[in-house]
Amino acid sequence: MNLKDLLSPFYVWQRAFEKPYTSIRPIQERPGSAAYRGFHINVSEECIGCGTCHTICQNGAIDMVRAEEFEGRNGDSGLRPRFDYGRCCWCGLCVDICTAGSLRMSNEYTWITSDPTEFHFTAGVEHTTWQENPLGYRRAEGYHLYPPQRIEMQMLAADESVQSFDEVVTGYSEEQARLEADRCIECGICVATCPAHMDVPDYIRSIREGDYEQGLQLMYRTNPFPATCGRICTRRCESVCPVGIQGEPIAIRWLKRFIVDQVAPQDYARILADPCGDSGQRVAIIGAGPGGLSAAYYLRKQGHAVTVFEAQETAGGMLRYGVPSYRLPDADLDKDISYIVSLGVDIQYNTRIGRDLPFEQLLQDYAAVFLSTGLSVPSSMRIHGEDHPRVLSGLQVLADVASGRDPGVGRKVAVIGGGNVAMDASRVSRRFGADVTILYRRRIADMPADDEEIHESQEEGCRIVTQSIPVEIIAADNPQQVSIKWGEAEMVQDPKGGRPRPVLQEDRMHVETYDCIISAIGQGSDLDFLSKEVQDQLAIEWGKFTPGEYQHTQLEKIFVGGDVANRVADAISAIEDGHHAARGIDRFLNPEAYTQPDQKVN
Amino acid sequence: MNSVDEILDYAIDQEQQAADFYADLAGRAEKAGMKDILLDFAAEEQGHKERLLAVKAGDHELTPEQEILDLKISDYLVEIEAKENISYQDALIVAMKRERAAFQLYSDMAARVPEGHLKEVLEGLAKEEAKHKLFFESEYDERVLQDN
Repeated sequence: MNLKDLLSPFYVWQRAFEKPYTSIRPIQERPGSAAYRGFHINVSEECIGCGTCHTICQNGAIDMVRAEEFEGRNGDSGLRPRFDYGRCCWCGLCVDICTAGSLRMSNEYTWITSDPTEFHFTAGVEHTTWQENPLGYRRAEGYHLYPPQRIEMQMLAADESVQSFDEVVTGYSEEQARLEADRCIECGICVATCPAHMDVPDYIRSIREGDYEQGLQLMYRTNPFPATCGRICTRRCESVCPVGIQGEPIAIRWLKRFIVDQVAPQDYARILADPCGDSGQRVAIIGAGPGGLSAAYYLRKQGHAVTVFEAQETAGGMLRYGVPSYRLPDADLDKDISYIVSLGVDIQYNTRIGRDLPFEQLLQDYAAVFLSTGLSVPSSMRIHGEDHPRVLSGLQVLADVASGRDPGVGRKVAVIGGGNVAMDASRVSRRFGADVTILYRRRIADMPADDEEIHESQEEGCRIVTQSIPVEIIAADNPQQVSIKWGEAEMVQDPKGGRPRPVLQEDRMHVETYDCIISAIGQGSDLDFLSKEVQDQLAIEWGKFTPGEYQHTQLEKIFVGGDVANRVADAISAIEDGHHAARGIDRFLNPEAYTQPDQKVN
Repeated sequence: MNSVDEILDYAIDQEQQAADFYADLAGRAEKAGMKDILLDFAAEEQGHKERLLAVKAGDHELTPEQEILDLKISDYLVEIEAKENISYQDALIVAMKRERAAFQLYSDMAARVPEGHLKEVLEGLAKEEAKHKLFFESEYDERVLQDN
């Protein structure tokens, strides 16, 4: 080794104090162009965590991670996208597909750090300098990777629909259904919101694949009333569908209906192949509505013998007697009910518990009892003159029509109320040739009826008079008629919050005469079939049961569900209550079969 | 009743009578869940009484508040007899009507006395009753008039 070799390592030290050739920051700031695809920006308040960005990313650069501050919001998965800039290729597809329009890109592209593991971040959750950057790539206005508008459903024209009780909605063709199914981004936000947690993305996929039998199987896992729900479900799923944020939500209800309509009832047994063993246990159900029959279906699948006690002469409850056939034809309701009954469910018709059979007898004869008696008692207006014979109940009018009787509404009808019963009583009256005026004490936006029902009522010629409060019923000169005195209302903000309240304006009163007045202001429960001793042991608030876990009440053998035990009072919630109660009853009857919640040891 | 104390004693007695009325009805209630509802009503009236006792003791003032919202729901409803098998709807009507009657009583009395402390107390009591009426009418609006 010569001397030079020995000294050369030390030569570098002579430059130790010189200005470096490299820099920890670029020598010159060179901003990206105004539409540059730089680091991501996510407006987390607008994002609903659908994960479509994660799905579309071809490089696997986006993970969906928990963001605690957004968990528990309705229609929000509680997840937010986390970007890995070691993988991102800046293609911008995630921005183009973003359903909420919350994702965009800044024009910043420099991020200097000595720790390579830092090149991950959860946009909109972790602080970045570019989150508020107004520049960068945005999806062009009006540009969508999927059609934002749904395939329009064909319906009878209003002047035709009021001529008969034929179903108003005609249904999708196969081509239309596939086009609509193609719009689904399979995010699954709807699954969490559906009370029955139906597997919506998968049954919609079955339409794309043309496998309707699989679609039917998927639906029956959580809902034995798909033909019914495919027509009249309140479809909370659609209200949270991310596709609806910048367009129209997927027509989930109509797609469900399409699948069911493709399968003949005689094929159900083969397709569903529900095993119904014999556990040796007997369960009684009171009420053959959606809650009771949903429980019956899942209890039979668990092998329990089921007897349903029904006060009416046919099954279906409010679906039969409260929903007219132009919305839910009998044949479609029967398609659902017939299959449930075919599993060996025994229905005792015309049997009112408390009148024909004491409730205590059921407690004695059966291992468990499920109560799903619904809300069958119409609320009274409690105004003077209400007992006039030309004041009819909305529920009775609908029940008459369902039973094939003419409700005798006359030619000029006033309907009081803003719920679905009021809308249906109005539309039924139109079909009997009446001119209909709906008096509602609040605004249209406050009506509890389905928006579609309100719209169709108006289309069919029903006149809605909002902010009108009935104060008195007066006998008319003609005994076949009746007069109503009503006053106009002003909406006043409640100082304690909540929705504005209508306040009667006593200087603006009207008196009008009608052939009949139909009262449809709500309905309550009838629990008189339970003895006072039993009632005193059950938690009941404002006429409704308040059950515990698995719909179990405070009394060992008694489970409850449906409208009489939930605040929502719609079919899909009743169906879920029935399913949930069936799980609870099975656990109650076979506690040793369960090691953990819902994990049955076979 | 000419003095403020006499008026307050009367009002306190009325609240106690109302609490007793609901408690008695709760003991006889036949319909499911009505016992608890009526006991809640009794507790509400007991709360009104406590508030008036505090006013009398000088710990609390019947300060004239802003105008109390009058929904006028009870004004046009039929009279209901408080029977053992009373329903939720009817129990609320009974409660609304009682509060309305008390409101009218104090309002009428206030109109008959000259300006002064006594008038202020009567007007304050009328507003108290108007608040109670609004409470029950709001309950009725939410629970009974759900579809209306």
